[in-house]
Amino acid sequence: MAVDITLLFRASVKTVKTRNKALGVAVGGGVDGSRDELFRRSPRPKGDFSSRAREVISHIGKLRDFLLEHRKDYINAYSYVMSEYGRMTDTERDQIDQDAQTFMRTCSEAIQQLRTQAHKEIHSQQVKEHRGVVLDFIEDYLKRVCKLYSEQRAIRVKRVVDKKRLSKLEPEPSTKTRESTSSEKVSRNPSEDSEEKPVTEEHPEKVPAESQPELGTWGDGKGDDELSPEEIQMFEQENQRLIGEMNSLFDEVRQIEGRVVEISRLQEIFTEKVLQQEAEIDSIHQLVVGATENIKEGNEDIREVSTLGPPGPPQCGTESRQQRSSCWQGGTSALLWPSPQGSPPDGAGQSHFDPRQTPDPRCYQEP
Amino acid sequence: MAAAAAASIRERQTVALKRMLNFNVPHVKNSTGEPVWKVLIYDRFGQDIISPLLSVKELRDMGITLHLLLHSDRDPIPDVPAVYFVMPTEENIDRMCQDLRNQLYESYYLNFISAISRSKLEDIANAALAASAVTQVAKVFDQYLNFITLEDDMFVLCNQNKELVSYRAINRPDITDTEMETVMDTIVDSLFCFFVTLGAVPIIRCSRGTAAEMVAVKLDKKLRENLRDARNSLFTGDTLGAGQFSFQRPLLVLVDRNIDLATPLHHTWTYQALVHDVLDFHLNRVNLEESSGVENSPAGARPKRKNKKSYDLTPVDKFWQKHKGSPFPEVAESVQQELESYRAQEDEVKRLKSIMGLEGEDEGAISMLSDNTAKLTSAVSSLPELLEKKRLIDLHTNVATAVLEHIKARKLDVYFEYEEKIMSKTTLDKSLLDIISDPDAGTPEDKMRLFLIYYISAQQAPSEADLEQYKKALTDAGCNLNPLQYIKQWKAFAKMASAPASYGNTTTKPMGLLSRVMNTGSQFVMEGVKNLVLKQQNLPVTRILDNLMEMKSNPETDDYRYFDPKMLRGNDSSVPRNKNPFQEAIVFVVGGGNYIEYQNLVDYIKLSQLGQK
Repeated sequence: MAVDITLLFRASVKTVKTRNKALGVAVGGGVDGSRDELFRRSPRPKGDFSSRAREVISHIGKLRDFLLEHRKDYINAYSYVMSEYGRMTDTERDQIDQDAQTFMRTCSEAIQQLRTQAHKEIHSQQVKEHRGVVLDFIEDYLKRVCKLYSEQRAIRVKRVVDKKRLSKLEPEPSTKTRESTSSEKVSRNPSEDSEEKPVTEEHPEKVPAESQPELGTWGDGKGDDELSPEEIQMFEQENQRLIGEMNSLFDEVRQIEGRVVEISRLQEIFTEKVLQQEAEIDSIHQLVVGATENIKEGNEDIREVSTLGPPGPPQCGTESRQQRSSCWQGGTSALLWPSPQGSPPDGAGQSHFDPRQTPDPRCYQEP
Repeated sequence: MAAAAAASIRERQTVALKRMLNFNVPHVKNSTGEPVWKVLIYDRFGQDIISPLLSVKELRDMGITLHLLLHSDRDPIPDVPAVYFVMPTEENIDRMCQDLRNQLYESYYLNFISAISRSKLEDIANAALAASAVTQVAKVFDQYLNFITLEDDMFVLCNQNKELVSYRAINRPDITDTEMETVMDTIVDSLFCFFVTLGAVPIIRCSRGTAAEMVAVKLDKKLRENLRDARNSLFTGDTLGAGQFSFQRPLLVLVDRNIDLATPLHHTWTYQALVHDVLDFHLNRVNLEESSGVENSPAGARPKRKNKKSYDLTPVDKFWQKHKGSPFPEVAESVQQELESYRAQEDEVKRLKSIMGLEGEDEGAISMLSDNTAKLTSAVSSLPELLEKKRLIDLHTNVATAVLEHIKARKLDVYFEYEEKIMSKTTLDKSLLDIISDPDAGTPEDKMRLFLIYYISAQQAPSEADLEQYKKALTDAGCNLNPLQYIKQWKAFAKMASAPASYGNTTTKPMGLLSRVMNTGSQFVMEGVKNLVLKQQNLPVTRILDNLMEMKSNPETDDYRYFDPKMLRGNDSSVPRNKNPFQEAIVFVVGGGNYIEYQNLVDYIKLSQLGQK
């Protein structure tokens, strides 16, 4: 267990002070000292960097507080029926979304600015490293807060999508749909999970199905209250069939939804990985471009050598070969002297002067 | 070396370090907390303590941007708090005062590895006053962390000046009293810090008439003083309540290295012990020099430089944790197995890739899609795991290959088998002289070790003629004969004391030259390396521990002294007051333990937990 000896330290400070006073030693606790202190405090640059870094952090903190504060209201999708105070209209939610996004963008821009500035200013290696890491911390903080935001947004989007999907499943015309959707909403209130939706969904399905014979506005006469038992049976059968169809559709849709969610998650992972590898891929690209350049140059050099391979003017004879070999030693040393029997494209052992070849100027420079 | 504490010593030390790094406030993880940044300054001692416990990433997580050595050139970084973790030595204090004068950082959190004296504290106070920096010194703490924890249940005293507390330092003939005092003080300080961190006051038992006794007396005194001082006692309140669920106090067994000199010289055969013996292994980090294969390099080209690689063997490394005590052939097999399972998993992922590729061409494959997205997700999320596994397999392949090379070059298996036979007094099939004169087998050091073990374990000393023969063979092989002198003297002393320690009956059974490993054509071609299996044995240290813990009566340990710092009156009797067997024990060898003994103790614990003896 660690022992806090700060108090002991302060006590020692007092002891030393009194001792020094007694000894009459001016330890900087005199006039000089206080002036030194002031001196030291004021011109010490507060550090642009750290003050701005702290500003960015406080901004992000504000964003976080804001998001956390309104989180409950934001997520609460069934605010129609809940208490008045918890309401948040969609427009308000959109407003929050937009504000949060612009805020995040400005924060990340500020971080980028800080980073470029930190690199530009000439400081010691240690300070640079320190600042780099500090900026990493701030970015990480921003990412965590953004995760808060994206989580609640994902929940909201999912709810909206579910709602839309359910309201589309009703095949009846608009009057019915309005009534049925209102009854849907009524029945949906007690449940918040999507797992319970199929249960409640069947209920509204039944409600319009039951309301059909009651309302009977569909093609039947207004006064005709009774339907013959066969018709009722037919309608019921059809209802059952429709319910079956809707259920299977619903299942399929749920499966697809699951897959889409997985795919989106995979996408997220992939984009993250690709972004990570972006820097590496760029550097590989650079290297490859450089390598192709080098190879091209190398090829050209080889071509030059090979075109000048066979001996030129006949006077040169063996001497030329020797001269040329000595010339070539000064040149591209990586290339081996092509053997006279070998590579030159013009054929081996040509002893007449070939106008096609450009004689090597260096040969004639030799005395 | 402690056995199964409630919270292992490693955890406790890590928690203490983290708290220190968090400005001495307990650390609470908060996912949306604001970042705070700080700079960590340590000296070499601090570095040795921190490096096995916290990785650079973990330091970053705690908000540390830079970690620097105290005695390096440091530039001023304004507006940053600095956490210091140093020993309270003169030079360190001077340097810290200099820092204060140069106004390097904004605020200072000073943490001393072991307790700082009042006068040195006043030195700092002086410097702080002179620099008008008193308010900047935010906190000063005594951390009592002056020991290095290497494993969950193993610690060493120090790495920097281990020469100071080594066997040689304690046992050399020309040591003066004051030097001895210093050495003892260092040891006692570290042990004291250990118990403060553990939060328990042990019962101490030690043998009579040895360095261990000196340590025990001093430690007892120090603990007693601290307990008496009710105001400042380190053992009251939270520390005990939080950590200790057992009402039993641990047993501290202090043994002197002299009771068993053969084990440290013994050649090793378990993985961790081999790595330590054969490769460059310190503070859980092994440094390998990889020699690139012998290729036909073009004439005149520069010789290829050997790559230096270093690996950390940490508690996160599951393979290491499982196999560090296994005999080496087993390790080789396990690496093979891991490699195969990794390849199988990799193939599966690749297969998924090809299925995905099919999907675009064949509409019928859309029905497969439902399974495949789930499979793909699981494959992708398991990728980091796979990569980590691969890294570990590579690591262990390299390490094990390096070890194997050494074994083959020096014929360490032969040495091991022979030494086991010597130590268990079974008949020897090869003459000692043969092995020593064999030019292929081992370095001169190996041969010296072998001979010393023989000499130590022999019931009676070999005759003069034989001895001369051996000496000649050894000098021919290039050995230095000084150790022999020392052992002779030691044996003379030891004869006056009890009989030389016996090592129990052990047999090593060679499992045949052609093991399964070779048949599967693995990388680890253990051709010509005997596949030896260790039979469980109890080394002297383990036996002593067994006796003391179980309160067995044994001539070896009956004579041990008994100290209880909590008792009011110091009591010299060797009759233990506490009759119950102990649940926890800490074994400390004054003069240095070794991995073989550590492994033996761990095995003993496992056996006793299973109820066998």
